[in-house]
Amino acid sequence: MIEKNDDIILSVRGLKTYFPVRGRLLGKKQYVRAVDGVDLSVRRGRTLGLVGESGSGKTTAGRTILRLIPATAGQVSFDGQDVFRLRRGAMKALRRRMQIIFQDPVGSLNPRMTVGGIVSEPLKVHGGMTAHQRRQRVGELLDRVGLSKMYVNRYPHEFSGGQRQRIGIARALASKPDFIVCDEPVSALDVSIQAQILNLLSDLQDEMNLAYLFIAHNLAVVEHFADEVAVMYLGRIVEVAGRDALYEKPTHPYTRALLSAVPIPDPNARTTRVQLPGDVPSPINPPSGCPFHPRCPLTRELAQAMDETETREIVTLGESVRVVRRCVEQTPALQEVPGDETHCHACLLRQGNT
Amino acid sequence: MSDLVETTRVEQFEPRTGRSLWSDAFHRLLRDKIAIACFVIICIYAGIAIAAPMMFPDWANEVDYDNLNARPSWSEPLGTDGFGRSILQKTLLGANVSMTVGLTANIIAIPLGMVLGAIAGYYGGWIDDIIVWLYSTLASIPGLVKLLAIKFAFIDKVLWKGSWYELDLDGLPGICIALGVISWIGTCRLVRAETMKLREMDYVLAARASGRGGLSILFRHIIPNLLHIGIINFSLGFVGAISAEVFLSFLNLGVQDRPSWGRMISDAKMQLVAGQWWEIGAATVAIFLIVLAWNIFGDRLRDALDPKLRNV
Repeated sequence: MIEKNDDIILSVRGLKTYFPVRGRLLGKKQYVRAVDGVDLSVRRGRTLGLVGESGSGKTTAGRTILRLIPATAGQVSFDGQDVFRLRRGAMKALRRRMQIIFQDPVGSLNPRMTVGGIVSEPLKVHGGMTAHQRRQRVGELLDRVGLSKMYVNRYPHEFSGGQRQRIGIARALASKPDFIVCDEPVSALDVSIQAQILNLLSDLQDEMNLAYLFIAHNLAVVEHFADEVAVMYLGRIVEVAGRDALYEKPTHPYTRALLSAVPIPDPNARTTRVQLPGDVPSPINPPSGCPFHPRCPLTRELAQAMDETETREIVTLGESVRVVRRCVEQTPALQEVPGDETHCHACLLRQGNT
Repeated sequence: MSDLVETTRVEQFEPRTGRSLWSDAFHRLLRDKIAIACFVIICIYAGIAIAAPMMFPDWANEVDYDNLNARPSWSEPLGTDGFGRSILQKTLLGANVSMTVGLTANIIAIPLGMVLGAIAGYYGGWIDDIIVWLYSTLASIPGLVKLLAIKFAFIDKVLWKGSWYELDLDGLPGICIALGVISWIGTCRLVRAETMKLREMDYVLAARASGRGGLSILFRHIIPNLLHIGIINFSLGFVGAISAEVFLSFLNLGVQDRPSWGRMISDAKMQLVAGQWWEIGAATVAIFLIVLAWNIFGDRLRDALDPKLRNV
C-alpha cells in the first residue's frame, strides 16, 4: 500500500481528525471535523508550507501527523513506515526522527526544568549516552542555536521570547531528526526576531538536510521560506503547488482571496482586494459539496450567466444568493492543473472543461 | 573593560548541568533565615516528641494530692493538673501524639490525594469517573461524622496481633489512618483540576513527541508542577490533623493511654471556669507555635521550589 519514493520523506493520505462534541441530551453524536481528508507529501530536505485561516485545522493536522493526537482515519507514512500502525517500541524509535517546534514560546517549555534539562530530555529518553556526553551535546546544541552554554542552569522564565524559541529549536534538534513540524514558530515573536529565527531554521535545514512542515498564517513568511505551499480551508487542502506557481498563478478562488489580503510594502500600489463575505463556517457542520461555496466569489459570478437548472439558491448570512449547483452537490477532489503536475487544486469550476 | 575580562573568564568555565529543582530549593532555603528558624522549631518539637517519653516515663504516676491545680511557681513553672502532676512535663509528653498524628495522617493523605488526582486528571475517561465518584461520595458525608464512624468501627480492633508489626486500630495508629483516609479529598480535587490544565500544555506534548510514555510524563512534567499544592496542603493538613486529634480526645475517642494536647484541653474544660488557665494555656501555646512554624515553613518551601521567584 505504501508507496516507496526515495525523495519523499513524509506522505499523508486521506488524513481525518474528528473531535467528538457532547451534543444535546439524546441528540445525535456530533464531531468537530478539524482535519477532513488531507493529502500531503514532504520532500527530504525541503519545506512544505501549510497556510490557512485560524480554525482551518493546520495545527491539528501537524499534531496528528506526529501521532500526538489520535487520527480518525487516513495514513501517514514516514520514510516507508506506517506511523499509525507502529507498535510502542518502534514508535518511540521513530520519534527520534520526527520533532515539533511550537508556536507559544512560554507554554512549550516546562517552567520547573532548567534549559539543560529541557534540551537533554530527548537524549535521556532515547538513551545510549553518558551524562558527560549529554552535557557536551547540550552545549553544542545551545551553541548552534545561538545561545550561550552558560544558560544550562537557567530557567525558561529568564529568557525573552526569541531565546525561548531557540531553546525549543535546540530541543527539537537534540535527537538529530530528519523532519520537523514547525507549528507557527514565529507568529508569537517580534518582527525583528522573526527574521533571525527564520534564518536559523533555514541554516539548520541546509546543514542537517531537514525536512519541514511549516505551518503559518503569514503568507509573506511562507513565500520567503517554503519550497512548496499547501492552502487549507475547513480541514481540507484546496490548493497545493510549488511556491512560485502558487504565488504567481493562484487557481483556487480561496487562494486568490488570501493572496490579495497580503499587504504590499508600497503606499502607491493599489490591489484589488477580494473580500470574502462572512466567517469560516463551523467545522461541526461544514457546508455540503465544496466547503467554500457559501463564501466563494467565483461561483456567484459564474452562476449569473448560467441556466437556471445549473444553479441553486442558497441562504448565507441572511441573504439568498445564487450559486452553481455543482458546487453544492459535488465534493471536489485535488486535481492537477494541465501542464503542471505539481500544481493541484480543488475547485470544480476550474477543473475539467470549465 | 573589567566587564569584558569578566565575560571571557566566565565563558571558559564549563558549567555543571542540572542542579535539580530540589537541590536548588535547598540552597535557597539555606539563605532564608525565617525558614531556618521555623525549621529549627519543627525540629525541636520533633526532638521533644521523641525524647519526652524517655525523660518522664513515670509522669502518669507522679500524683500529688497536696498540690492539685497549683498555680505556676518556681518549682512548677506551668503549674499542676487535677492530679497534681507537672503540666510542663504533660505538655512536653503531648508533643509525641500531636507530631505523630500530624505527620502520619498527612503522609497518608497528601500522596494519596496527589497521585489519585493526577491520574484522574491526566488519563480522564473511566479512570477519572471512578476517582471522581469515589471522592464525591466520601465528600458528601460530613467530615466529623466520617471520622467518628471510622473511629467507632476501629474500636477494639487490632491487626496482626502479636507480630512486631501489630497495628492497634483502637489507639494512635487508628487515629492516623482514619484522618489520613478522610483528608485526601481536598488535595485530590485541586490536583485533578490543575492536572487537566497542565496536560494540555505544549511542553507535555513536546515530551510525548520526544518519546516519553504516559506515566513518565506524569511524574516528570506534571507532578513537579503540582508540588506547590501538595506543600500548601501538607502544612494546612498538619494543622487540621492536630486539631482533629484535639477534637477526638475531647470526645474521649482519642488516645487514652498517654497525654496529648487534645486531652489537656479536654481535661481543662472545667478548670477554666475556676480561673485555672495554665493547663489549657500551655496546650494552646504549644499548638500555636508548631502550627505557625509549619505554615511559614510550607510557604517558604513553596516559594523556594518556584524558579520564577529565584532572584527575588
